[in-house]
Amino acid sequence: MIRIAAVGDVHMDRDVLGRFRPALEELPDRADVLLLAGDLTRHGTEEEARCVATEFGNLGVPVVAVLGNHDHHRDEVPQVIRALETAGIVVLEGTNLVLDCGGVRLGVAGAKGFGGGFAGRCASEFGEPEMKAFIRTTQAIADQLGEALREMDCDVRVALTHYAPVPDTLAGEPLEIYPFLGSYLLGQAIDSAPTELALHGHAHAGSERGSTPGGVRVRNVAHPVIKQAYSVFHLYPPYAGTGARVSAAGETGSS
Amino acid sequence: MNGRAQGDTEPPDDYLEAAIQRLLTEHNAIAEQGLTVTRRDHSLVVCGEVESAQRREEILRLVLERFPNLPVTVDIGLIRTEAPSTVEELR
Repeated sequence: MIRIAAVGDVHMDRDVLGRFRPALEELPDRADVLLLAGDLTRHGTEEEARCVATEFGNLGVPVVAVLGNHDHHRDEVPQVIRALETAGIVVLEGTNLVLDCGGVRLGVAGAKGFGGGFAGRCASEFGEPEMKAFIRTTQAIADQLGEALREMDCDVRVALTHYAPVPDTLAGEPLEIYPFLGSYLLGQAIDSAPTELALHGHAHAGSERGSTPGGVRVRNVAHPVIKQAYSVFHLYPPYAGTGARVSAAGETGSS
Repeated sequence: MNGRAQGDTEPPDDYLEAAIQRLLTEHNAIAEQGLTVTRRDHSLVVCGEVESAQRREEILRLVLERFPNLPVTVDIGLIRTEAPSTVEELR
C-alpha cells in the first residue's frame, strides 16, 4: 500500500507561516510522500517561496510540487524553484520522479497545466495569434505531461497538475470560467498512460472527486476544497502500472 | 434601470461587481481569485475563505477604501489547517 498526502493552493506568505506546520509534522506517520498541487505562493515572489520552503521543507517525507498560476505572477519562476529546491522540494515541470516506497516504485509526473476548457466547449487552435498561442500552450504542456507519465519505469503512476484535467472536480465553480480552470487535453494525457491517480488544485470552489474518460480517479486537493492541511490517499495493489489493469492505451494524438 | 439617481448609496450594478472582482484579484495586497462577489437587494456580499486573518482584514479595508459608500458585507472565513481525521482508501 502506498500513502500519498496532497494539498494545493496554500498561497504562502509570511502571514501564513506556522499554520500548516503542526499537521505537517505528523506526515512521517501518515504518508510516504507529500504532493503540492501548485499555487504555493500568493504572487510568485522569491520571498514567498522561501516561506513555502520553511513551511513545507524538511518534513521527513519527500515533497514533490508543481507550480501554479500565482507562482508565475511575478515572473520569478527560476528564483521560486531555487528557493523550493533549497529545502529539498522537487519541482516538476513536464517532468517526473520515481520514488521507492517500501519496495514499490511510485512514479509522479507533474506539470502546471493550463486552461482551454473541456470537450465540446473548448478553445481551438484557430483565429487570432493570441488564441492560437493560448491553446498551443496547453497542448505543449499536456504533451509533456503525457510523455512524462508514459516514460516512467515504475509500479504506480500519479499525475500532479495545478489546472484541472476534467470538469467533474469543478462542480461548484461558475460554468463560465471552466475554460480558465483546466483542459481536457490534460485528461487525455493522463489517460495515455496506466495512471493510478490524478491530483490537481486551482478550483477553490470546485469539488473533490471525479474521473477521466479513461477511468483514472481525479481528486481536487485545493486547500479551500479539502478544508484541512492535506488529504491522504491509500493506493492498493494491483496497480494499473504493473499491467494488472490498463486504464487507457491510446496515443495522446492531436485534436 | 438607468434612470436611477447617482447617489452615494446606489445599489451595486454589474460594472461595480466586475470592478470589485478585479480588485480582489489584481490588487497586490489581495491577489485572491477564489472569492465570490454576490449582489443582494441593496448590498454586495464578498464570500469565500482565505489563509489568514490578516488577509481577511486587508480585503475589508481595501474594499471600503476603494468604495467608501458601498454597502458591503464581507463574509470570509479562515481555511482550517488541521491534520485529516480520515484517509481515502482507493482500491
